[in-house]
Amino acid sequence: MRQPKVEETDRLLTEIAKSGDQLPAAERRQFLKSGLSMLGGAAALAGAAKYAPPNVPPWTKSLGAPVIADPYGQPSPFEKDVVRRNVPWLTADRIASISFTPLADIKGIITPSGLVFERYHAGRPEIDPDEHHLMIHGMVDRPIILSMDELMRFPSTSMIRFLECPANGGMEWRGAQMTKLQFTHGMLSCCEWTGVLLSTILAEVGVQKGANWILAEGADGSLMSRSIPMEKALDDALVVFAQNGEALRREQGYPIRLINPGWEGNTCIKWLRRLEIGDSPYYQREETSKYTDLMPDGKAREFTFVQEANSVVTTPSPENPLKGKGKYWLEGLAWSGRGKVKAVDVSFDGGISWRPARLTGMIEPRALTRFGLEWDWDGSPALIQSRCIDETGYVQPTYTQLRAVRGSSSIYHKNAIHTWRLHADGSVTNVQVS
Amino acid sequence: MFRFPKLYKFKRLSLIVLLVAAFATTVVNAKVKGVGHYGYGKVATAEEIAGWDIDIRPDGRGLPPGSGSVEDGEILYEDQCASCHGSFGEGVGKYPVLAGGEGTLTEERPEKTVGSFWAHTSTLFDYIRRAMPFPQPASLSDEETYAITAYVLYLNDLVEDDFVLSQDTWDEVAKLPNNSNFVPDPRPDTQAVRCMKDCKKEVKIVSEPTITAEEVAAADDTIVKAAAGNENEKGASVYNGACAVCHNSGVAGAPKLDDKATWKARLALGEATLIKHAIEGFQGDAGMMPPKGGRMDLSDEDVAAAVKFMLAEAE
Ligand code: HEC
Ligand code: HEC
Repeated sequence: MRQPKVEETDRLLTEIAKSGDQLPAAERRQFLKSGLSMLGGAAALAGAAKYAPPNVPPWTKSLGAPVIADPYGQPSPFEKDVVRRNVPWLTADRIASISFTPLADIKGIITPSGLVFERYHAGRPEIDPDEHHLMIHGMVDRPIILSMDELMRFPSTSMIRFLECPANGGMEWRGAQMTKLQFTHGMLSCCEWTGVLLSTILAEVGVQKGANWILAEGADGSLMSRSIPMEKALDDALVVFAQNGEALRREQGYPIRLINPGWEGNTCIKWLRRLEIGDSPYYQREETSKYTDLMPDGKAREFTFVQEANSVVTTPSPENPLKGKGKYWLEGLAWSGRGKVKAVDVSFDGGISWRPARLTGMIEPRALTRFGLEWDWDGSPALIQSRCIDETGYVQPTYTQLRAVRGSSSIYHKNAIHTWRLHADGSVTNVQVS
Repeated sequence: MFRFPKLYKFKRLSLIVLLVAAFATTVVNAKVKGVGHYGYGKVATAEEIAGWDIDIRPDGRGLPPGSGSVEDGEILYEDQCASCHGSFGEGVGKYPVLAGGEGTLTEERPEKTVGSFWAHTSTLFDYIRRAMPFPQPASLSDEETYAITAYVLYLNDLVEDDFVLSQDTWDEVAKLPNNSNFVPDPRPDTQAVRCMKDCKKEVKIVSEPTITAEEVAAADDTIVKAAAGNENEKGASVYNGACAVCHNSGVAGAPKLDDKATWKARLALGEATLIKHAIEGFQGDAGMMPPKGGRMDLSDEDVAAAVKFMLAEAE
């Protein structure tokens, strides 16, 4: 937990009161009590600060910056460490590479656009939307080329959905390796996506008999491409032009990208330029050489689209260590590519016993879902885990269960229960347990 | 032939059912709209489609006319690919390995290459033509792509040195050795239950990271941090984003950033000339410097800043 700064006291108080509102009466009283004791701690600490009461800080006795001092607003400079980061040794360079979302500081189900993880195969192109086109052709009655203005004239819809790289956590298959939450789980974000349902566009062009697959292709230097089954295209695939209410970010495919909710991030082709309707899959590099899951018997699973149920505790975590014993609000994120999160359990003893957590906030299908649990830490070491159960009844597996079926060479789709080791000094490290 | 989950093979009827279902569940489409209902966009001509329709399918659909030999492929590969993928396809540094690894798929450290893992030669032709050579994607002609594809097959001992790849010989090599080892997705494949108490007898820590966060940060060799006194921040950022891909490692004959002797000799031409070469492109004895490093989105000032940064680093 961050030590609240004195000027944050008010905000914290409001927040605590607000989150307390969502709890049943008994728990709410308990929660407010602990929240206030936390504030008490903050105030005691703040006693050392220059502007704690009764002193008045200079920003109260002067004028602040005018409107449009920042025509496009930026986070407070005090938040400068909340940024995407990469792991240099993972890739040969930063052009075909990946960066990670700082999950330890994510306090909602919407990932701010500037913090959404990046994955490029040939860098981030700079595309003039007036020069960008979407071509839809192949087994259709009316092959068309759409300008961006034309695309945006179609009826549009919005949905909050997570986006996850199937390699998220893939570095942990053979054992705990990464030292921060940002790197163990940060190939994960969640946004509100606005666009045109692919089914609307397919109806407009007229899909012919025998058409079962769609090749989606980007306009970047890798002409990134993947085959999408017609079933998904007609279900909830979305041709997206806006993210969190504004134009899609360049990192996310400006001016347009595909979103296949709940599926591998790489199927959500960015800088989308072409959709070819065909009778069978196209066997592109990213669905044969990569993004296939090698099993211990030497067989490889292909078209492993769904991101199965997963979860992680974000406080405590290596980035959010505990500051002494006392009451804490443990919190984390859960998600499932198959639908809604139904429940999340938390263990403090490495999985021997479990307590149900509370789902806090909006529960959308195939979206990040927050969970939390009040916990009184007595200062002794603990092995903290979370376990997600989704609406299909699927229960997030342990490493032992996952490896028993898949070995440890499959790179992708590692959704095992994660363990944080809490040390007596409050620091937290990544471990794997039996 | 094609292997994909049964789930996705469905007939016209189920397609219509799905279509109706998809529309019924969305607010914006109360009923199915007919083909061309909105009439947006322009109907694509055959010529327009041909310009973008670059994919090749396993059975050879999409292959362009032309051919290429292993012999021609060797020269092209050495010139344009070997600096990253190695003369034998063994991979340089962290760049992908393209050959070898046969029989390793069940081993502790499987080596997945064209010869040991890939299923279709179409994937190789298609990918090389769309995305390689990495610094200049989509720059190869069809003939060159045929030749280099043939050569990568040769590096994997899949064809003889007199092989010529074309539409006519495609069937001989269309299926790669590992072709039959891909299976549909059987997930969910774990059956965890929601146990709440006494779920196991004891817990042992079985693994912890062996590297520290500090070591991870120190290992960042992909970003050149400016030397003391080089305060050209813009140049550093352009360099790291656009030029490092070749000039860090010396790929494609690019003079390496830390090769002071080369830069000293080149500086004899004068800074202005070097900037001009970087902006306009330059074919020298060492290789081909593409205009602006292939990043046409950069302004002339950006490139000039990068050159100044490079020269200051080399001092
Ligand atoms: C500057 C270094 C560089 C050069 C030069 C280069 N490549 Fe690559 N190559 C890469 C990188 C990086 C990737 C991986 C890209 C990614 O992951 O998206 C790659 C991927 C590949 C792959 C796919 C490997 C796999 O296992 O999936 C093939 C095949 C390939 N390159 C062939 C070629 C050929 C043929 C040439 C020459 C025409 C070439 N490359 C030139 C850097 C290079
Ligand atoms: C695709 C690889 C590649 C990229 C990317 C690249 N260069 Fe180069 N560059 C080369 C090669 C190869 C040469 C050597 C040409 C020769 O002298 O034969 C070179 C040479 C140069 C030279 C010396 C020119 C001379 O006249 O001696 C400068 C300066 C230079 N590059 C700057 C840049 C800058 C600035 C960038 C980024 C904006 C960049 N390069 C990106 C490959 C590259």
